[in-house]
Amino acid sequence: MAGIFPVDVGPQYEGEVIRKGDMYVEFGGPEVKSKFELVTLKSPDEVENEKIEVVGPNIADMKEGASYPMALMIDVAGAGLEKDMEPVLERRIHLYTNYIEGLYHMNQRQDMWLRLNKDSFAKGLNSLEEIGKILMFLYTSEIDIIEKISMTFITDEKKVEELLTEAMKIYNERDEKARGLKEEDVEEFYSCALCQSFAPTHICAITPERIANCGAINWFDGKAAYKLDPEGPIQEVKKGEPIDPIRGEYTGANQLAAEKSMGAYTRVYLHSAFEYPHTSCGCFQAIWFYIPEVDAFGIVHRDFAGETVVGTRFSTMAADTSGGRQVEGFLGLALEYLRSPKFLQADGGIKRLVWAPKEIKEMYKDVIPEDLYDKIATEEDVKNVDELVEFLDRVGHPWVKGEVELPV
Amino acid sequence: MTTTIAVAGKGGVGKTAIAALLIDLLSKKGVVLAIDADPSTNLNDALGLSLRETVGRAREELTEDIKKGRLSPTISKQDVLDMRIMEALVESPKIDLLAMGRPEGPGCYCAANHMLRLSMERLAKNYDYMVMDCEAGMEHVSRQTTQDIDFLLTISDPTMRGITAAARMKELIKEMRTKVGKVYLAVNRVKDGLPQEIEKAIGDFGLDLIATIPEDPYLAELEIKGKPIIELPEDSPLQLRAKEIVAKFGL
Repeated sequence: MAGIFPVDVGPQYEGEVIRKGDMYVEFGGPEVKSKFELVTLKSPDEVENEKIEVVGPNIADMKEGASYPMALMIDVAGAGLEKDMEPVLERRIHLYTNYIEGLYHMNQRQDMWLRLNKDSFAKGLNSLEEIGKILMFLYTSEIDIIEKISMTFITDEKKVEELLTEAMKIYNERDEKARGLKEEDVEEFYSCALCQSFAPTHICAITPERIANCGAINWFDGKAAYKLDPEGPIQEVKKGEPIDPIRGEYTGANQLAAEKSMGAYTRVYLHSAFEYPHTSCGCFQAIWFYIPEVDAFGIVHRDFAGETVVGTRFSTMAADTSGGRQVEGFLGLALEYLRSPKFLQADGGIKRLVWAPKEIKEMYKDVIPEDLYDKIATEEDVKNVDELVEFLDRVGHPWVKGEVELPV
Repeated sequence: MTTTIAVAGKGGVGKTAIAALLIDLLSKKGVVLAIDADPSTNLNDALGLSLRETVGRAREELTEDIKKGRLSPTISKQDVLDMRIMEALVESPKIDLLAMGRPEGPGCYCAANHMLRLSMERLAKNYDYMVMDCEAGMEHVSRQTTQDIDFLLTISDPTMRGITAAARMKELIKEMRTKVGKVYLAVNRVKDGLPQEIEKAIGDFGLDLIATIPEDPYLAELEIKGKPIIELPEDSPLQLRAKEIVAKFGL
């Protein structure tokens, strides 16, 4: 690359952190309110190929050591490109800017943060156009389906602020779409073995519709972590064939359980608390527990210090649930799993919930059907199972009345 | 390559002062990442630096955001944590500082600590030296860093309790995931040489004595004025011994 650009370019510069002491200027980051980066797919006639536009002050006009607003907007066109690729292409900003000697990029979207160091500035990387040229070179040489590309760098605070509102809408739409991703849409699941030091037979199966028990690692995290460290505790798992799509039994997940539990478990239902429930580590955010008297479930989370409706506390119940075992009727899980369309669907899902701490009910109000909300008892309504039975009869809980149909 | 030094000792033996002086000396040879891994002391004050958020707080916030479902599903939490660590970093010309804050409360931090280790590891690579001011249990060293330690400097006062604590730390570090190069002992606030009993205990425990430091006459005045330790004059006993320690480390 020497000769074409004022600074060197290559993967060897990834992971290079630019300290404040070495920094010439920075864009975005914690000191700056308005910043974002966005890649948009356009039609070929909307993109003026290789055009770089700068709106607002350029690097030469900037004060050394200071922080500036930034909107980096990249437009691309190409017959082979699809709308779904926008976030992927946008993430490449992170990769490619970090390939550039003396540039350091962090985060993404409305949290972007870009630092330029003094050395590279002195070597001639002294305008946004220069940075843009290198980025374009990387985009077009690495991704050949990009036929046209243009870039706009906006450093004018007002303008960035205006456009940010639009960008936020796009980010939210993407997130909504991601939340709608289904097990049927993907070929890969991920497995996480981070808790095996505590529970040697436990392995978390992570699907687009089942977040890890701790709530910290969803399917997208799994994908990112595996890419970052293919030898690490998070591994890619082939989904395999669905054996029972309702209970969430897949050949891939079964094989994973068999291998990682050292043969202790050979089958796992990802979406049922009966027969072959998912194992529980010690790290789950909540416990989903069976209440035999009403043939329904309660849920309790780690933060709830009081007694549950069955008379035990989270800590006691956790001891019986954890350790990497399949315990029928007891499931350690992430609260966020409540938002999954497949949430324990084989058992009736959230419609079979009869008791929950008030905090959980309030936190997940949006996923509880409106006509069910007041029929789920909390610690304020009932103190024991007898009172629960009476409560459920009185309010006419749909599960107790036999109105909930299980999927077949 | 980053040279990693852990300074550890029981409370009140002058460990933070010595760590600060080592950091200051090393910052004249390269860039230093200072880690305040003792929630009961303030390494930043000793260095004359301000304080931002602690790493512990960043981790708590991440777990809270996860619990409340406040994060974008597509942005990896590792990236979120990387960013928050960078935001917690106190940056000065030659020394950057991270305060670890309190160890985690009840609950599960397997995933969060794993991510934290990765973040810290990636950050540390960019410095010539990493110096950690550790509490006696060295909890943070064991949980949040995978970094091998080149030098463990234990600090004690001339008391049997202090020496025993130093010996215990030497043992403790063996049980951790980190590999440790050399382990040394420095005894602070020594008047007219080491008492015989103490000298014997050091030998019995197999501790390698690198320095004895007399009571520093300049320290009290500095403390009264609330000035950073690194402003101790060149001829102060602490400064002189810190220089000797760096020389004996071969740095």
